[in-house]
This record gives sequence, C-alpha cells and structure tokens, in this order.
Amino acid sequence: MSKTFMLEPDLIAAGENAMPDLNNDLVLAKNFLKQQSAATADSLYDHLVDIVQKILTQKPPNVVDNFEQYSWEVKQDKFRPNFDLLNDVYLSPPQLAIVRRVDEMFRLVASKSQKMEEVGEEEQELDLEEEDSKPRIADLIDNNYYFKQEFEMKDMPGEGEGMDEDRAHEAEEQKEIMGEGETREEKPKEPVPPKLPPIPISTWQPPPPIPVERPGQGVNKKVYWVCNLPGESWICLPDLTPVQVRVARLSVRCMTGDLDAEIQTFPPFEGTERNYLRAQIARIQAATSISPQGFFTFGSGEEEEDIDMEEGAGDLAFNPNPFYQGHTLKDLLDTNLTYWVHHGRHILKQGRTLWWNPNAGMEEGLEEEEDEGPPPVEPESGPSLFTPLSEDAHLEGLPAWTPRVSSSLSPDRALVSLRSNVWPGAVAYATTGKRSECMYVGWGLKYQPPNFSPLQLPRPEDEYIVGPEVMEMADPTFADEEAYRIAHLPPPPPPELPGEGEGAFGEEEEDED
Amino acid sequence: MDIHKLWEYKEYVNVNGFMLSNELISLLQNSLTLLQVENHFSHVQYWGQIYAVDGDYHIAVGITRDALADRRYFYSTDFKFWGLLARPKKKYKQLSLLTTFPFRGDPSLKIKVLDEAMDEQHPDRCQEMREEKRLAATISNICDEAEICARGQLIKQPDGTVVINPNFYGLTGQEAKLLKSYMHIRPAQQRWNSNLLTRQDYNFSMDFLDSIDQDIPSGCWNLSLEQNGTLAYLKSLYWPGMSYFHKIKTPDAGFLYIGNGRKNLDVPFLI
Repeated sequence: MSKTFMLEPDLIAAGENAMPDLNNDLVLAKNFLKQQSAATADSLYDHLVDIVQKILTQKPPNVVDNFEQYSWEVKQDKFRPNFDLLNDVYLSPPQLAIVRRVDEMFRLVASKSQKMEEVGEEEQELDLEEEDSKPRIADLIDNNYYFKQEFEMKDMPGEGEGMDEDRAHEAEEQKEIMGEGETREEKPKEPVPPKLPPIPISTWQPPPPIPVERPGQGVNKKVYWVCNLPGESWICLPDLTPVQVRVARLSVRCMTGDLDAEIQTFPPFEGTERNYLRAQIARIQAATSISPQGFFTFGSGEEEEDIDMEEGAGDLAFNPNPFYQGHTLKDLLDTNLTYWVHHGRHILKQGRTLWWNPNAGMEEGLEEEEDEGPPPVEPESGPSLFTPLSEDAHLEGLPAWTPRVSSSLSPDRALVSLRSNVWPGAVAYATTGKRSECMYVGWGLKYQPPNFSPLQLPRPEDEYIVGPEVMEMADPTFADEEAYRIAHLPPPPPPELPGEGEGAFGEEEEDED
Repeated sequence: MDIHKLWEYKEYVNVNGFMLSNELISLLQNSLTLLQVENHFSHVQYWGQIYAVDGDYHIAVGITRDALADRRYFYSTDFKFWGLLARPKKKYKQLSLLTTFPFRGDPSLKIKVLDEAMDEQHPDRCQEMREEKRLAATISNICDEAEICARGQLIKQPDGTVVINPNFYGLTGQEAKLLKSYMHIRPAQQRWNSNLLTRQDYNFSMDFLDSIDQDIPSGCWNLSLEQNGTLAYLKSLYWPGMSYFHKIKTPDAGFLYIGNGRKNLDVPFLI
C-alpha cells in the first residue's frame, strides 16, 4: 500500500516540501482511505460513510457487538438494484390479491342479503309458511367469541377445512353398485392333456355391496362445501359410500389441500382426496358432536310427538330444546362427563349409521342356493343418540375427553371447554347459560395409542384340494425302490425268453403312475 | 415466543387451532417477567404446553448468554411456581419415547416403562421414571427434532457464543419458501462445513446450524405461506402440535408446541 502512496507525485511533493501540519495529515489520511479497490472500484471512505449513515438513521442497539454483520449488509445493499430509480414501478403490497377477493365476497354477501330482504317483504304477505325452506345459518361471529376464550375459528393453513352448512340439496339419488372385478381365468387348452387335477376355480366371492345411504340420511344427512381460502368458490363434496368409510378407518393419510390428489392406501380407496376428506369429516362429525345434556331433544320439543320407532329408529330428527336451562360450571367440569352427550350418529362397522341386513335380499332373490349363502350376519348396533360421554372408551388410561375451564380468575364468566383426545383438534364449549357449540380444526388424523400398522395381506388361498396328487412327501430312496421292485417282481416264471420279463417290468412302471 | 410480544404474536399463533386466551397471556407475562428478573435472563420465551390428564404443563425457556448452550427450561402448572427441568440423561430420552400413556399432571408421580425390545429376564426391561424426568426428556426430544429458527435469527459471534441476532430483519419472500432457510436449534449434527457448502451465499456467522431440509423423510415438514406469502408457517409431522411462524421481512417469529408430548411414528404412512 505504501508503494502506491509513494508513486503519486503530488503526494510526494506535498510530503517533501511542507512542514508537519495537521491539515496536511488529514488530507493524506483521507486520500489513503479514498483509494479505490481494484476489484470493486469501491473505497473504504465511502463504505465508512455509508455505515455511519446507516447506523445513525436506524440506531440499532449495541451495534458494536455485531458491527461486522452490519458492514456486510451495507455492502450487500449496493448490489441490490433499485428499481424505483430506473422507472417508477409500483409494487403493490402482497396482501392486495386476498383483500380484493374478500372484498368481492363481502359485496356478494351484501347484495344477497339485500335481495333476500326485498323478496322477504313480498313473500311475507303471500305465504307465511315459507320459513322451512330458508337455510338456517349458524351465527359464526357470535360463536367465535366463545371459541376465542379457548380456541380460534380461523382457517387452518394448508388444510381443507370443513364447514357444514344446511343447504337445500337436490342431488339425484345415485346408487352405484360396486362391482369388484371378478377374476376368471381362461382355461388353457393344451394339445395333450396330462393327468392333472382340475384347474382350481376361485371360490372367493366379493361380499355383497352395501347400499349407499341416500342423500339426507345417515352419513349423507348433510352436504359439505369446502374451500381453501375464504372468498374462493365453495366446492361441494360428494356423497359418502360405506366402503369409503371402512377403508378410511384402516388408513392414515395427510391431506394435501388438493381435492383431486390421489389416495394410495391398502386396501385401495375408491376416489380422490375429496372422497377421503368427506369420509374423515363424517367420522369426525360422528365422534365429536357433543352437547350438554338436554341441549337437544327429539322431535320439535314443544310437544310430545309420537316417535316412529319402526323405520328410522336410528335416524331420528332432533331439535334444540327450548326448555334447556343450562348446567352449573361444576357439573359441566365433572371428569365423569355424565352431563355431556353425543348428538352425532354413530357409524357402524358396516359404514352406515343404519344397519343394512345383507341377508334380506339374499333370501328373497336366491332361494335356490340355500346352503351356499353366507352365514347370517349379526345385526350391528351402536350407542343410541344422546349417550353420555362417560360411556366413551378410554385410551390407555386417558379419558376420551378432557374438560378445562377457560378462566380461573373470573368463574362467573368462565365457560367450559372440552378437548377430544381421540380426535386431536376437536373441541366443544358450553356456558352456564344456553350456549354450546363444537368445532374441529386439525389434521384429520385419529389418535391411535399403539402406532398405526397397515392391514395385513390376507392369507393366500389353497390352489388345489390337498390330496395325494399334490401332497408333498419325501422322495423314495434307492433302498425303498429296490424293496418295492423286489416285492412286485412277477412270480418267478419258468425259465423262458428274457424279453418277456422286460416287458412285464415296463408295464409295472406305468401302473405306478 | 418472546414473552414480551405475546400480545402481538397472539393473532399469528391462533391460526393453527391453538388459542392463547387473554387470561393466559396476562398470567404468563406476569409470572415469567418475575422469573426473568430472579434469574437474570436476557430473554425468556414461552415454549408451549404439554397436555396432561389433571392439569396441563406450561413450559418456558430462559436464555442467559448463549442462546444454544445456556437454555434452561422451566415448567409450571399454576403460574406461581416455575420448576427448573434438569438436563435429561440419554436413558430417559429413550424411555420417554417408549411410554404410550398420557402425562398425569403430577411431577412427582413414579411411572413404570416397559421396554419390550429387551429380553424377558433383562433387569432393565421395566424401569422406573419420575414424571418430571419424563417431561424433561420429552421436551428435550422435541427441541432436538422440532425446535427451529429462521436463518439469521441466531448468529455465532467470533468468540463462539451464539446470540439472538438483534438486527434480524426477517427472511425475504423467496427465502421463506425454502426449507433451507430454517435451522434446527441444537448443536449441529453434521460436519461444520456441510452446512456452509450447500448454499451459495454462505455466511460463517449464520450457517453453523443444521438446516431442516436435510431431515428424513423429505416430506416431514409442512411449510405453508399464508396471507399471500406474508406469513410462513412450519409444522412438523413428527410432533403434531408444534408450529413455527415467521412474518416475512420482519423480525417477528416464534416457536410454540401445544400437544400431548407424543411423537408420531406414522409419518411414513402419511406422506
């Protein structure tokens, strides 16, 4: 460095002629600092100016401790292109797109409610009995206040979330008969059929397909719409088949957030992620819909109605109880949970809420095959509606629900929240007054105390009927064969031509086969 | 999460289905500030909750000087008394992974753990452990595998101490989309230069930790950007209940675990 300094002629002249002088030294030092580096054409002087300027404007705490990083950042800033200087490019804030979409949603809702008002005024005069067709929309904002005491009612990022809305659904009844591919092998035709046992025929028969529950009944009682973000269009989830419920119970999987994603499980799942999401929603809804005892009641609740127990015994309608008065905090917090009941219908092993008798159809249609039919199946029955939570199964000493109080400081305003341990993410709240609601925000995974183990493959069926032809046995040793030969020797013939003896031997061998 | 910013971070945390109620935040801020003063911590962070049957455990972290080596964990059930959790032995860390039953909420409870992998006659087949030890071991396991920070949030100083970077300006939108930009808060398990060599813009003071994109299997972290890419959320499939948020281009970031303290071993089936 000193060399370059020496080479500059004016500096040499200044050093030789002038007396030691403060100003002169300052100029020399400044000139040294202003030397440009060969690589970046940058000088330390400018860099220090930038650093001091940045520190003084931003005033970070204890800057001396990480001065190196600071200097690094100042250098980095120089290599960032400044678009604002080149041309006036305005970069809108990234929230803009979402704000626009939500704004559109708000406008849509506003216009709808305005329309409803106009129609409502006209219809009120025409007929007053139109009320039943109006959708009952849950007051989310109001519920949100209560959930906020313990939980939050925002969207779960990345997950497809289910929102149930009671909307009129006019889908046509779709009965799909799941024909499982029958495997029939064609008999190979060989020119010389050897003596083989008959080709085995598969005796396996697919179990009779369980009919799908109609829309508006059982697991398909409600129709679910989903979207990834509020403001996007809502997508209707398809109806659920019993097979899908049964397969979903045997598998674990994470949702991807894409409704058309492929589901790879064993046993194979029929459908895409939208079907799987629907199955999980149905399972969660069945297991975690809870309310304090007496919150819902059968029938309309205002009068004692004759409950039709014959046809839809498990499909009873229930309504909010107008006479519900609420329970005390202590009762709701009771760890036995006898004051909480299920109001979701239990899904049977069959995959339906109402048991379907597979034998009924068989007996009517095919009376000829009496012996061939499957053994009669025991009718399944689950717990009835409004079973208290105390009946729920425990998981390794862990009760299925954990009650917590929201506030220990102000018990007058506290409310009770219940957290499901079977479906982590499922919660419910109840106040001491007349409010209760339940919600699920989670991964859609059930808690399984011993870890998940996939279904084992079934044992292979026997191909052939086990008989002497296909039985495995030890090969005869030479001694055995020799003994057999000696035992089966033709009676010692009178000494004749040796050719006959050989012929007899050959016949014998054929007999052995 | 820094306890002095809990009110601001509340809205970011709430999204994942967790909820910090107003009462909880007030209690935490009060009692943890006292804890900070008593122990002369430079930072105190709220770590999360572990569900128990009778009452949940609340966990806090105190940092004195070194943000990596001087982390001390405290637990409390009533927000009055914070108990120090000792550094767990390796034996307890393994045993806590084997236990399947839930926490009871009583730190002095003795529990028995059966190691089915051992022979029937082996003396160590059935071992005793106090619940406090199990808590410490579980937290230590979670920290090793799931406690993370954004790149640059922790920096290594020339004397070797690791500090929370006071000049952390946040990740940019592009960086936040990469798993490479998030680091495990644990002593690096890979060679010191492997973390440096895997990126172009390496920085000795930042890249001294393992980045989470090296974790096996490759889908075990769930990174989602919300609010049109202004907020990044990271969740671990191995430890359901763990979440990490980072508001892009700001120093706001936080780790939280609220769950039952059980590792999810079904991850290979999930992805």
